[in-house]
Amino acid sequence: MRDVVTAYPPLVRSATLVAATYRGRVALSLLTGFFPLLLMGVWLTIVAEGGPPKGWTTGDFLSYYAAATLLWNLSGDHVVWQWDADMRSGDLSVRLLRPVHPFHQYATNDLGHRLIFLTVLVPALVLAALLVPGLDYPVGPVRLAAVAAALVLAYAVSLLMASTFALIGFWSTQTSNAWLLWWGLGSFASGWVAPLALMPDWLRSVAVVLPFRTAMGFPVELLMGRLDARETAYGFAVGLGWLAAFAVLYRVIWRHGVRRYQAVAG
Amino acid sequence: MSGWSRHARVLAICWRAAVAGEVEYRLNFFSNVALSAFWMVWAAAGASVYFRFTGTVAGWTQAEVLVVIGLFFTLNGLRQALLQPNLERMTDYVRLGTLDFLLTKPFDAQLLVSLRQVRVNNLLDPVLGLALTTVGVVLSGRGVSVVALAAFGLLLGCAVLLLYALTVLLMALAVVLVAAEELGRVSYAFVELSRFPVELYRNPVQAVLTVVPVAFLTTYPAAALLGRLDPYLLVIAPAVAVGAVVVATLAWRRSLHSYSGASA
Repeated sequence: MRDVVTAYPPLVRSATLVAATYRGRVALSLLTGFFPLLLMGVWLTIVAEGGPPKGWTTGDFLSYYAAATLLWNLSGDHVVWQWDADMRSGDLSVRLLRPVHPFHQYATNDLGHRLIFLTVLVPALVLAALLVPGLDYPVGPVRLAAVAAALVLAYAVSLLMASTFALIGFWSTQTSNAWLLWWGLGSFASGWVAPLALMPDWLRSVAVVLPFRTAMGFPVELLMGRLDARETAYGFAVGLGWLAAFAVLYRVIWRHGVRRYQAVAG
Repeated sequence: MSGWSRHARVLAICWRAAVAGEVEYRLNFFSNVALSAFWMVWAAAGASVYFRFTGTVAGWTQAEVLVVIGLFFTLNGLRQALLQPNLERMTDYVRLGTLDFLLTKPFDAQLLVSLRQVRVNNLLDPVLGLALTTVGVVLSGRGVSVVALAAFGLLLGCAVLLLYALTVLLMALAVVLVAAEELGRVSYAFVELSRFPVELYRNPVQAVLTVVPVAFLTTYPAAALLGRLDPYLLVIAPAVAVGAVVVATLAWRRSLHSYSGASA
């Protein structure tokens, strides 16, 4: 365990440097990540035509989708493609030989990239909150600390969920499609398709106990000041519960799966 | 016209070879078709959230928005099946010198480079997309006249030409920039912007999307099918599409002039 902890800073640092080298790619993936803004654009038209749905004003939608864009770029989902590619090519064999478990190799690599995104997106979000009328977050020191904790939890849950899913690759070649199906279904419960407050009641009551909201909607709602103390505590409890569940699930599946692994290439 | 039939025959052979290479992976094929269908249901269900609060957005009912979403899947499927696999190979063509080899073939270089490959996994997407469009038309309760259908066919053809022109333009850029992956993102973004009718966005976004010309991809063909197209677009759309193909072809030839070859 100590080895893993000491390995994190240098591995994350080297991944950050790699990500910083390909600045153009980072800029491009930020620019093409405009999908949430399309969804927002339609909401703004609805507000302009018929008034705010359920009290959600233009400012609310701007605040929600600006923060949602940050969360989208912060998710740890991307490790699925890396796992899938390495299992197919046999590059996983090399990773198995290294002293740190592959999970941590993928995690540190992804974390390095996320940090580069954060250095662009957090100042952009602060700037937007200062400049764009209506885009505001009612934050004090306590809430800001809670949001920071919720962001860490969001990343950890999305990373562990994606990594657990990636292990399907030991049994099947359809990991990425299975993941996309899972993600697509989850996107209705995460706040990605629309803010959960605007979803039907039954969906909302299911969503608050699922892991998807922890990784996306929960930190956004917290930042927007839409959760009281009880709902905040409940959100953290659900997130921590899923974190523990995926950690256990990952270990169990890994133990069975890695025995089946036969290197494809040398 | 023997030139045309010869070109068609050669492309058919290229496609048969590409298909033969991929149909071996049957599970993969069906899994991808199922996923395409899922994404379509996903998009339709996602759009339905808007209509919990309103009957029409900018004059578009939910059924009419489905018509556009179906067309979006049609065009996006064509992009993924026919255009993207060729565009993404451009980097290798230039880097490895394959382009030199392709240029020496007794065949139109632009057609060969831009249409040689096909990705089987997305070939059914246009069929699924048009099925959703049909569902949207039926749900909208509008009858479709023969004239509207003909106008729709014309505008959809223009949309496909426009998309092809963009791909050729990006290929021309790829010869110079050797960054096909990044350029592929541009064509992805262009099509993605056509997911909803452009009227669903307010100005200035709507104006930009009309000029860019995202509106020609799905919004205008859908309007034609629903029988509410401004008639002057029947002239403008073909002009824009043909103009785009001409510009792209000129850009492609120009980029080949600046290309000095990579193989020894």
